[in-house]
Amino acid sequence: MTNSAESNDRELLAHVLLPVAHEDDARKTAMALEPYQPDHVTALHVVEKGGGVPDKTPVEQSEELAEESYVAVRRVFPDADDYTAYARDVVGAIFEAADEVDASAIAYRSRGGNRIMQFLSGDLSLKLVTNADRPVIALPRDDSNE
Amino acid sequence: MSDEELAKDLGLVSAMTIGIGTMIGAGIFVLPGVAANAAGPIVVVSFVVGGVIAMVNALSISELGTAMPKAGGGYYYINKSLGPMFGSIAGMGDWMGLAFASAFYCIGFGQYLAVFVGLPAIAFLSPIQLGALLAGLVFVGVNYIGAKETGGVQTVIVFILLSILTVFAIAGFFSFDYATLAGEDGLTPFGVGAILPGTALVFVSFLGYAKIATVAEELKNPGRNLPIAIIGSVGIVTVVYTILVTTMLGVIPWPELSQDAPVAQAAEVAFPSSIGPIGGIAAAAAAVMTVGALLATASSANASILASARINFAMGRDKIVTNWLNEIHPNFATPYRSILVTGGLIIVFIAFLGRDIEVLAKAASVLHLIVYALMNAALIVFREADTPEYDPDFTVPLYPITPILGAVLSLGLVAFMDGIEIALSAAFVIAAVVWYFVYARDKTEQQGVLSDYIRNRDKEFPDQVVEAADAVAPTGNKGPTIMVAVANPRTESALITLAGAVAKHKDGRVLATHIVNVPDQTSLATAAEHKAELDASSEKLLSDAKADAEAFDVPIETRTILSHRGVAEVFDAARSNDADTVVMGYGSTRFAGGRAEGTLEELTHDLPCDFLVLDGQSLEISDVLVPTAGGPSSDLSAEVARALRDTIGADVSLLHVVASGEEEAGRTFLSEWAEGHQLGSAELRIESGDVETVIGELGSEYSLVIIGATERGLLSRIIRGSLAFDTIERLETPVLLTERPSSRSLRERVFGSR
Repeated sequence: MTNSAESNDRELLAHVLLPVAHEDDARKTAMALEPYQPDHVTALHVVEKGGGVPDKTPVEQSEELAEESYVAVRRVFPDADDYTAYARDVVGAIFEAADEVDASAIAYRSRGGNRIMQFLSGDLSLKLVTNADRPVIALPRDDSNE
Repeated sequence: MSDEELAKDLGLVSAMTIGIGTMIGAGIFVLPGVAANAAGPIVVVSFVVGGVIAMVNALSISELGTAMPKAGGGYYYINKSLGPMFGSIAGMGDWMGLAFASAFYCIGFGQYLAVFVGLPAIAFLSPIQLGALLAGLVFVGVNYIGAKETGGVQTVIVFILLSILTVFAIAGFFSFDYATLAGEDGLTPFGVGAILPGTALVFVSFLGYAKIATVAEELKNPGRNLPIAIIGSVGIVTVVYTILVTTMLGVIPWPELSQDAPVAQAAEVAFPSSIGPIGGIAAAAAAVMTVGALLATASSANASILASARINFAMGRDKIVTNWLNEIHPNFATPYRSILVTGGLIIVFIAFLGRDIEVLAKAASVLHLIVYALMNAALIVFREADTPEYDPDFTVPLYPITPILGAVLSLGLVAFMDGIEIALSAAFVIAAVVWYFVYARDKTEQQGVLSDYIRNRDKEFPDQVVEAADAVAPTGNKGPTIMVAVANPRTESALITLAGAVAKHKDGRVLATHIVNVPDQTSLATAAEHKAELDASSEKLLSDAKADAEAFDVPIETRTILSHRGVAEVFDAARSNDADTVVMGYGSTRFAGGRAEGTLEELTHDLPCDFLVLDGQSLEISDVLVPTAGGPSSDLSAEVARALRDTIGADVSLLHVVASGEEEAGRTFLSEWAEGHQLGSAELRIESGDVETVIGELGSEYSLVIIGATERGLLSRIIRGSLAFDTIERLETPVLLTERPSSRSLRERVFGSR
């Protein structure tokens, strides 16, 4: 019984896709995942594109941000792969990336904030959990660590 | 598709709508009344002249933009070409110019808003200013949270605007009356001399095409789309302006044209009040025009605020402003500080200068015109200096006439502004220069192509010119960063000695990092909890490093990094700290462990900078042996040897190993090599035999042997343990291994990849 449960755990954490937004977020997200010892991790950064209008930030800056985030993840998971997606629809890009790298689960850490903040920043949590085609792991937010 | 292409999602139509959307708001909806009142019907010619000036500049921007599709646009080209002093003027000018333009668009928005809803006057604010302030706050807020217009909204808005205006033009055509246009005093009631002052006033209607260049890196196929979008949008708006302003003036006599909401007024007259049984057509048309005006001015303001954040980013990248401005909001992913600062300026301009829309319009124009003039100069410098990396897909016709004409026309138009705008702008230019000397000069690093060109040919230029170039050159280049990865107390002193000597020699600084490898079994969180103990040992190590480096009198910084990555972290740290040279111990290369091989191979194959790896624990350097057979890594060995000779007085011997019988050729090679590397005074040794054996035998006579990696990737193989370097392992004498990466091309660093 415990054996099968454990092996299920293993399967779930065989290859975790870890969407991260910026260096600080990446560090905290990776630290939150670390205790569960996933077998393999791919860090994902989605560069939010304007899709017909100029982006919010210059591409160069977005890519710097991605690079910093990957370095932060690799401090925790040295073998972590990285994957950069460019899309207007962030959650859609996360699902596509999960397909692309064949992830067993998506682990994310809610950015918190009250309802208004979540609404304004696009409430990714809700979309992520409602539309997912594979397990989504919500990592605990340990604010005492910040 | 490569990442590069994925990041590019703006097609030709999107690019064009950015230009048209920004420009059309002002020219048609805000200015015709004011301008006609100042110049009479001949103001149509003012618009055409403005279009011609804009077009000449558009050609130059297209060439620069296709050569360097980078965020920042005009500022970026000028900074690269004319150097950071002119870069500061251009950056501040562009930034302030956009803030003035945004304030102007907000006032335009307020004028039409006041038509719709009654706004009160509060304190010293007119109703229009109040509307403008509200609009400004909303635009800044929208950009702050980064609410994006869905996909093609901007495109849709521009098409709606163009169709509204087309309908208006058709309706106007039927009510057009030449007698109305000519008026009672003829076409030129204020004389032909009013044309150019008129152009000075309406030129703000053309400030939009350059914004396409600020997002050039997001364009698909910029080599083709950028010139078409820039030149095309200028062409289209010039035609639109000409037709519509003529129409308006043919519908309503110029002295009566509304100064606040001219299009709404003209629409009311141009459209019949009823078509058959349907009444209220004219009023409805006026309402539609008002909505159109609100959309147009809003999109202009929005685009300008976004463009100013791009310019801040580019300036921050060159350290002309603090990068604090460019921090990205953790939740909204927007450059919120830059937006807030720009927003603050806009609000101030609206509140204190907003009563007179002409001042805002002209101030925006003057600042942009100064930038355009500098941009043309930048183009000429790039071409004349024959910069090899400068390779535009689009080139201006009739060079050098076009850029010279562009600069002359831009500055010429400034002369037709009023005293107050010229004074205001002169104050900004002076403030920018002061800013450069007070703040930016000792931070920014790159000098422009121009001063490079002058300072490298100081014989051909008059002394005054060379002195001037020296006087304004940036001093921010603090010299190279020598990063030391200290691992344990035994080797710390030797590594710091090497780094200190190299840093001293090149006027650089030392960054001592202690990378603490946390075993995989220990979570970083736990490791962080034990930080206190760790800190104690780390602190001791780093403070020793500090003391050792101070002996060389070079600046030193220290840093502790917790990581699971071991040696791989060295590469990341080198990259993220922009190190020019990394000094590490041979022992450290061994703690990689087996697990990260794949990643490590990738890392070591693409070295971020020069690497010096020391095998040996203590250094008492009195003489140094440098075996060489040429190549980039032995260049590095020579540099290190020179540094040791000049800073701690080490004697340098050079060794060249040849096959027996080729001693003579070997001697010629070595003495030339020594001369070429400023080591002419070194002792030259030519030996025949097997390289490793000879080094092994001779090495023991010296206190340090410096060996350059003879092939790319040698270091990587040593680190991975796939190559046992017998020479190193056998020698009692400390050995310093050097490897220089295949050089990153200048093109990549300056112009970015396309």
